Amino acid sequence: MFTTGSKYFLGIGVLAGVAFAVSLFFVHPAALAATILIGLVCAFGLFAGVVLYLRDGDVAENEPTTAGQPAPSTSMWPLLTAVGTALVLLGTITQSGIFVFGIVVLVAALVEWTVLSWSERASSDDAFNAAARKRLLNPIEFPVLGAVGLGVLIFSFSRVMLAVDKQLGAVLFIMIGALLVIGGVLFAVRATLRKSIVIAICGIAASGLLAAGIASARNGMRSELVAAAYESDHEVQRECGAEPSAQDDKGVSRTISAKSGVDATVELIGGKLIAHVQGIEDQKLVITVPRSNYSNIIFRNHDVGNFRLIASLGKKTVTDGVFEDVVACTQMTRQGAEQLLTIFIPKSSLANGPYMLSVAGIEGQSIELVVP
Amino acid sequence: MIHPSTPRRIFGPLHRIAFVLRRLRNWLLVGGIAMALAGCASNAAQDTWKPKGPNASKIDNLQKPVFAIAGVVLVIVFATVFYCIVKFRDRGQPIPQQSHGNPALEITLTIIPALILTVVGIFTIRTVFDLAKTSDTEMIINVTGQQWWWEYDYPAQEKFGITQPIITSGQLVIPVGTKVLLRQTSRDVIHSFWIPALNGKRDAVPGRVQTNRIEADNPGIYAGQCTEFCGLSHANMRMEAVALSKEDFAKWVANQQSDYVAPADGTIAKEGEAVFLNQCVRCHQVNGLKRADGTPAIAAPDENVWSGAAPNLTHLMTRNTFAGAMFDLAKPECRKDVWEADSTTFGAKYLVGVTEDCLNQSALRAWLRNAPAVKPMYTNPAQLTATGGKSRGMPYLGLSESDIEKLVAYLLTRN
Repeated sequence: MFTTGSKYFLGIGVLAGVAFAVSLFFVHPAALAATILIGLVCAFGLFAGVVLYLRDGDVAENEPTTAGQPAPSTSMWPLLTAVGTALVLLGTITQSGIFVFGIVVLVAALVEWTVLSWSERASSDDAFNAAARKRLLNPIEFPVLGAVGLGVLIFSFSRVMLAVDKQLGAVLFIMIGALLVIGGVLFAVRATLRKSIVIAICGIAASGLLAAGIASARNGMRSELVAAAYESDHEVQRECGAEPSAQDDKGVSRTISAKSGVDATVELIGGKLIAHVQGIEDQKLVITVPRSNYSNIIFRNHDVGNFRLIASLGKKTVTDGVFEDVVACTQMTRQGAEQLLTIFIPKSSLANGPYMLSVAGIEGQSIELVVP
Repeated sequence: MIHPSTPRRIFGPLHRIAFVLRRLRNWLLVGGIAMALAGCASNAAQDTWKPKGPNASKIDNLQKPVFAIAGVVLVIVFATVFYCIVKFRDRGQPIPQQSHGNPALEITLTIIPALILTVVGIFTIRTVFDLAKTSDTEMIINVTGQQWWWEYDYPAQEKFGITQPIITSGQLVIPVGTKVLLRQTSRDVIHSFWIPALNGKRDAVPGRVQTNRIEADNPGIYAGQCTEFCGLSHANMRMEAVALSKEDFAKWVANQQSDYVAPADGTIAKEGEAVFLNQCVRCHQVNGLKRADGTPAIAAPDENVWSGAAPNLTHLMTRNTFAGAMFDLAKPECRKDVWEADSTTFGAKYLVGVTEDCLNQSALRAWLRNAPAVKPMYTNPAQLTATGGKSRGMPYLGLSESDIEKLVAYLLTRN
C-alpha cells in the first residue's frame, strides 16, 4: 500500500509530530519551534500524500527487474536520513549539540544514499557498481571514520584522565602506553597473527576505553578541577591563610618555577623576607612592578615548614560602598622549594596602595610593591 | 605534446612585463640611484653602521666582517653566473657532452661554505652571549610597550639618587658610560625595541620580561623605532634614548622626583588644570595633582584604554616629543639646537626642557583638537565592541578651542 517515498515522508512527519507534541506540552507552546514543527508535519504530510498518489513516480513499480536495471540493494541510509532529520528537529527544541549532530548525520546519510543510488545504476555489472561506489566514497569514509574513531578514543581517554587522581593518572598513562607498545611489538613479531584476533584485541581495547570514558564522564572531573572550572577569578580566590587548604594545596610538593619573565624573587630566610630584582645586586624591601600588566614573582622558601607568599593588592568594589580585599597567593611551599605567583595590578599605588607581599604565619615581614 | 598556443600563453605575459619594464627603465634607474644614495646619508638618525655604545659596537664589529665576506661571496657567485650566461649562451651550437657529478668539486664547494659559516657562527655566538650578559648591570629600567608608545619606569635605585620610582615615556633618559639593563615587556601585542646606535633589537612580548642592554659613550639623542608590526600606527611608534652626563642625569632625576607645583591662582594655566582634571585625568596621571576637594587625582587608564595605561604627563615639558615620540614637542629650530649640540653643551640644553618660546604649539594643539586625525588609532566608539568600549590610542575628546588654550598653558607648567 505505502510506497518507499511515502513511508519516508510519513516517518519524518510523524517524528515532527512527536517533536511538536513534546514542544507543546513540555517546552513552550508559543515557542517558534512549535510553529516550525507543526509546519513540518503539514509539509511532510503533503509530500507523503503526493508521492503516495503518484506511486513514487515509478511506473514500473511492479514489473520484474530487467537486466539493465539491477534491483536496489538493501540500505541503511534512508533510515539514517530519517534519524538525522529527527535529530535536527529534536535539536531545534532541546540542545544545539543535538541539532549539529543531526545535521552531520543527515548530510552524511544523504551523501552516502545519493552515491549509492547513482552507483547502483551506473551499469548492469554489480561488481563494477560496487567498485565505483568504493572508489568514490572510500577516500572520504576511511579518513573521516578513522578520525571520528580516534577522536572518540582520545575524548574517552581524556575523560578518564580528568576523573582519576593525578598520581593514579600518571600510573594509568604509563600502563596504557606500555600496553600499546607491547601490543605493537606483538603484532609486529607475530605477523602471521590472524586478522580476526587482531580485530578482536583492538575492539576489546577500544570498547574498554570507551566504557571507561563513559563511566568517568558520568562521575565527573576530580574535585579540584571542578572548583577551578566553575570559580570565577579562581587564582585570587585561593584560601591564603597560614593553614594548608584542602583544595588549593593538594599536591603541594610540586615546585613551579620560571626561567624567564620574572620580575622579582622573594626569599624567606631565617624568618625574614627579602627580594631580589634582576639587574640589581642589593636585597630589596621595595620592588617596582608595572601597572596593568602581568608580573611574575618567584617565592623561595628556605625555612623549615610550609609557607605561602601572599600578595595584598588593595580592594575592589563589589557594590556601591562595599569593598573586598584583593588577595593572591602561592600554594604552600615546602623548604627548599619555590612557587610562582603571577599578579596583575591595574591601579597605581597612588590609588589603591600600598600593595604588599607577606608570608602567612610570619609576622612583621613584608615587601612593598610599588606600582608607578 | 605542446599545445600550439602554449608559447603565446607563457611568453605573452613575459613580453608584456618586459615592455612595461622598458617603459619604466628611466624611472627605475632614478629610483635605484636614489635608494643607493640614501645609504650615503650622513645624518641618518637610525643608521645601523654608526654605533654609539659598546653593545652596538659589538654588533658592528661582527656585521662588518660578515658583510665583507658575504660581499665577496656575492661577487664571486654573480660573476660566475654572469660568465656562464654569456660564455655558454645559446648560439645554435650543438649540446655539449653532459657530465653528472664531480665528487672532488662538490666536496670542495661544500667544505668552503661550511668553513665560512663555521667561522661566522663562532663569532656570532660569542657576540650573542656577550650581548646577553646582565651580571655587570649598573642600572635597570622597565620598558613597557603598548599601542603605540613606550613607557619607561625607573625603580628606586639609590646609587643614582632614584628614591622613588620615576615614570616617563617617549624619551628614555640614561646616564652615559653606564650599563643600563632594559627589562622589556608589553601590555597588548608584541612590539620590538630598537635603538640602532645603542644595541640590536629585542621584542617586547606580553607576559614575558626580556632583557636588553644599552650603553651610550657620549651625551646625545639616539633615535629608534618599533620594529615589530603592532597595528595601525606601528610606523609611528618611535622612541629616543637621551644620554646625559652623570651630573646632568642626577639633575634630571632630581627634577623628575620634585613635588608637584600647582599653577598660580587666576592664571590661564590654573584653568587648564581644571580642564585636565575634568578630561585628561581619566587616563593621564600627573603625580601630585589634587582635585578641588583635596583628594589625589588618580588616573584610571585601565577603565578607558585597552592597554590599561596612558603616558604619565607629570614632567611632559622635560621631553622633546609627545604622542609616542611621533611629534616634536619643540619647534624645529629648538629641536635642532638640542639634537646638534656638542657633547659638552648637550646636557644643559636638554635639561632646559621645552619652554613657551620653543613649544611646537601647532602640533600640540592639533593633537588635543583631534588626536585620531593626526595619528591613526582605534578610537571610534562604534568600532570598539571587541575591546569592551576601550580605545587603543587617544580618542577624540571634542575639546573647545578655549579648553585647548587652557590645556596648553597648563601643560607648559609640567616641567
